[in-house]
Amino acid sequence: MSDKKEREPEIVGFACSYCSFKASEMAGSLRMKYPEKVRVIQVPCSSRVDPAFVIKAIFEGADGVFVSGCHPGDCHFIRGNYYTRRKMAALKEMFKAFSMDGKVKLFWISAAEARKFIEKITNMYNELREEKNAGKKN
Amino acid sequence: MQGKRIDKEKLRVALNRFVEKQNHIVYGYGKNGIFITHKIYRDNPEDLSLFNPYFGLNGATFFYRVFGKDIKVVMLLRPCEIRALIELVKLNQIEPETITMISIDCPGTISQKNAKADLPDDFIEIKKAFDKDDSGLRWACKFCREKRGVVGDAGIRVQEDGGLWIFPYTDKGSDFLNLIDGEIIEYTAKFVISESIKTEPFVTDMDKFYNDFSKCILCKNCRDMCPVCYCVDCLFNGDEYLPKGDAFINKMLRTGTQNLPYGKEIFHMIRMYHVSQTCVGCGACEEACPQDIPLTKYFKGISERLQNLFSYMSGRDIKETIPYLTFKEDELKDAED
Repeated sequence: MSDKKEREPEIVGFACSYCSFKASEMAGSLRMKYPEKVRVIQVPCSSRVDPAFVIKAIFEGADGVFVSGCHPGDCHFIRGNYYTRRKMAALKEMFKAFSMDGKVKLFWISAAEARKFIEKITNMYNELREEKNAGKKN
Repeated sequence: MQGKRIDKEKLRVALNRFVEKQNHIVYGYGKNGIFITHKIYRDNPEDLSLFNPYFGLNGATFFYRVFGKDIKVVMLLRPCEIRALIELVKLNQIEPETITMISIDCPGTISQKNAKADLPDDFIEIKKAFDKDDSGLRWACKFCREKRGVVGDAGIRVQEDGGLWIFPYTDKGSDFLNLIDGEIIEYTAKFVISESIKTEPFVTDMDKFYNDFSKCILCKNCRDMCPVCYCVDCLFNGDEYLPKGDAFINKMLRTGTQNLPYGKEIFHMIRMYHVSQTCVGCGACEEACPQDIPLTKYFKGISERLQNLFSYMSGRDIKETIPYLTFKEDELKDAED
């Protein structure tokens, strides 16, 4: 195998169309860059994300998944992201039990926080890239 | 605590009075050949057995979608089965008006798969047999979270000399107690079954998971026999999560080499998450598994860990809401990464 070549992690992201997806659009219009292996999927609300989607993404090849929604209390549908918070906290606990911490992340990003969106995603990408390449060399 | 002192004869008389009315049914255990299995009585419950040392399946599996309001059912089951029924009530699968759930102290069970028909149906004797030799005891029963009959509308408890007591927990339970002869008196002696010991949080890793589940043949028996896996349109019935035919070939071309059957990890992980707050740890999935995968270890472990997150216990109280269906505004401050 090509050991020398840097392996790039793939990240699938579920972004709420009212906040985080708007933030990603804003980042685009401000010409900010984020890793191209990050695939952002637009969902009507972050609570639309059944943890089954996350599990499916991870077992079908994604190295990391993030779910991103409005800050708690700012949901367009009033209470959606409170449910997301409970669901994702439980899902993260489950991945922790399987010693797979860091694969799933939950972000709160409002429509104005394009910079935060870029920072969070780039950090996650860098962490996963380090993990992936460190594992391969041994 | 106030309850009634009963014996088997008194209870039988009370149940007789109950089933005499129209559309009244008793559900419990009864002699079936050499074994004791679930039995539903429309007439006189003559061979009703309060205790059952064999576990074949969870009795709640027969009671999905019970909505009729003009029938009445009295259920005399183990705590794990009553807890599953309570979860089904919370999930709107059962009309709670219809049924009176009575949980009975459970001495532990052995698997029906490799059972020998020499176990008695008396509590003290079953308990003695298990205290002497617990090698046959099921894993789920060794680490059971609630063996006491403290859930449901009423509970039947056993005191140390083998005497039986019945305690009402709700109005429906009190109504049933009125059918039994005798006075309600204060209880003072000690019960045989005490509170279960708390276990350590479950930790494993993906290698162990792959090793244990590598022999899965994806028959989905665990799903069909799970008392809280009630969905009519299961996620895994269609082609979306477990592709077949051309969709399957195309998937292989896109994703590369795979172990077959494809999707067994996805199936178990998603099911593990979906039942995480409602799993009662009865071990019916493991009983149904033809490949003897240690499913209870994973499902019970994960569900206890995830329920502790919200200080919830499945089937403990009918008034509690399932954590995923409710929220508090001020909680889980560290959920964000």
